[in-house]
Amino acid sequence: MKKAIYIFSSGELKRKDNTLYLETEDRKNYIPVENTSEIYIFGEVNINKRFLEFASQNQIIIHFFNHYDYYVGSFYPREFLNSGYMILKQAEYYLDKEKRLTIAREFVRGAVKNILQVIRYYINRGKDLVKIDERIRELEGRIDDFNEIDELMAIEGNIRECYYSSFDKILQNQDFKFCKRTTRPPKNNLNSLISFGNSMIYTIVLSEIYKTHLDPRIGFLHATNFRRFTLNLDVAEIFKPIIVDRVILTLIGRKVITKDDFEQDSEGLIIKEKAKREFIKELEEKLSTTFKHRQIGKNVSYRRLIRLELYKLEKHLMGEQEYSAFVAGW
Amino acid sequence: MLLREGLKVLNEEINITGTLVWYYFICPRQVWLMSHNINPDEDDENVAIGRFLHQESYARERKEISFHGGKVDVLGTREGQLVIAEIKKSSKAERSAKMQLAFYLFELRKLGIEAKGELRYLEEKRKEQIVLDEQLTREVENAITRILKLMYEPVPPKPEKIRWCSNCAYREFCWA
Repeated sequence: MKKAIYIFSSGELKRKDNTLYLETEDRKNYIPVENTSEIYIFGEVNINKRFLEFASQNQIIIHFFNHYDYYVGSFYPREFLNSGYMILKQAEYYLDKEKRLTIAREFVRGAVKNILQVIRYYINRGKDLVKIDERIRELEGRIDDFNEIDELMAIEGNIRECYYSSFDKILQNQDFKFCKRTTRPPKNNLNSLISFGNSMIYTIVLSEIYKTHLDPRIGFLHATNFRRFTLNLDVAEIFKPIIVDRVILTLIGRKVITKDDFEQDSEGLIIKEKAKREFIKELEEKLSTTFKHRQIGKNVSYRRLIRLELYKLEKHLMGEQEYSAFVAGW
Repeated sequence: MLLREGLKVLNEEINITGTLVWYYFICPRQVWLMSHNINPDEDDENVAIGRFLHQESYARERKEISFHGGKVDVLGTREGQLVIAEIKKSSKAERSAKMQLAFYLFELRKLGIEAKGELRYLEEKRKEQIVLDEQLTREVENAITRILKLMYEPVPPKPEKIRWCSNCAYREFCWA
C-alpha cells in the first residue's frame, strides 16, 4: 500500500536518479517513489520543475501548507484517469437544479447522521448532550424542506455550530473552549485544531478523487466556480465527524495535545510541530483502521471508504445506483 | 460547447478491440465501463501482474503488429500463412481467449490478410490452434454486434457476482 509522506522540516526536495530525495540541514533521506501516494509539505521546501515532472509521471499529488498551516494548494498532476463521459455526467448533475439538490442533500444528511453518531457515543458515556442531540435531530428533519443550495449550506452551518458547542461538554477542559467557530485565523486552540483537521481531510479526499474519474472542480453542495476544488469539500463533510473530530477529541481527551502546544504570533495561533506530528500520527492510524465491509466482503480501511464513497457517487452520476452517503454504524 | 466536445470524445472512442472481446465473454459490465473510459483501479496488483506476464513471456520469439482492433503477437509464417498468437496465463477463460483471437483473425481478414491463430496457455504449457472457419466467423460477427449494442446502452449492465469478481480490479467499484 502506498503511503503519504509528511514534511515538516525545511530543505530541498528533488529527484535523484529514479527516486525522491529530501535534504535538510541535519538529514539526507531517500523516499521510495513507488511507495509514495502523496506528499504534504508544511516546511519551507525548495523544489524544481524536474522534481514536479517526476512527481507527475508517478502520479504523486503534492499538497502545500503555509506557515500557519493554511492550505495553499496542490500540485495535481495532469489527470491520468480521464473519462469524457464521467465529466459530462458530473456537469449534467451540477447544471440540473433538482439533480444537484438531491446530491447536495445527501451530503448534508450523511454529515448530520455521522455527527449524531459521535454525539451518541458521548451520551452513552454519560455526557449531558441530550438537548444538543434533540436540537440537531430537529434541524435534520428540515433538510428536505429546503430547495436552495444556500439554505442547505445554512442549515448545515447551524447544525455544525450546535454540534461544536457539544465539544465543551465532552472535553470539559478550560484550555480547549469552543466559544464559536472562527477561521482565518482561528481564534483559539480548539478552533485551530478543527481548521487543521479539516484542511487535512480536504486534501485526503482530493487525493482519492485523483484516483477516480471525477473532476474535483465540480462540487454539488459547495458552489463550483472552477477556480478551486470543491467536490472534495462536499465529500469531506461526511467524514469530518467520524475521522477528524474523533481524532481531535481523542488527542485532547488523552492530553496528547495540551495548551502548551500552541503559540500566538503576530498574525494568529500556531500549532507547534510536535502537536502536528501527533495529530497526523493519530489521523493516519484512524485512516488505516479496517473493518469488514458487507457488500465487498473484505476488510476496508477508512481511507478506502472515502474512495468507495466516490465510486458510489460515480454510479449515481451514471444513473446506475442512487447515492446514499456512508453512515458509521458505531 | 462542452457537451458537443464531450460527445465527440465519446464517439471517437467507440470502437471494438480484442481486449473488449475478451472481457465481453467474462463480464459484459466491464466492457461497458472500459468503453466509457472508466478504467479499473490502477493500484490493483493483478493489473500489474498481467502487464509483467505480457512483457516477459515468449520475449525472444515475438513480434507485434498493431492494427485497428488492437495489438497481436506474430509468431511467423507456417506453410505460407501468417501465424498470430494470444498468450494467456491459463485456460480458465477459454471461450474469451478463443473469441479474442478469432476477432483478430477476423480483423486481419478484413485487411486482406489470411492468418492462423494459436492460443498459448502459460500455466498449462498448452497450445491450441484456431482456424477462422465459417462458424467461427459467424460467432465473431455476432459478438461484435452484441458488444456494439452494449456499448451504446445508457447504463452498464447490473453487477453480478461471478467467480471473476474476487480478483477483479472493478470489484470495489461494482460493490461499493
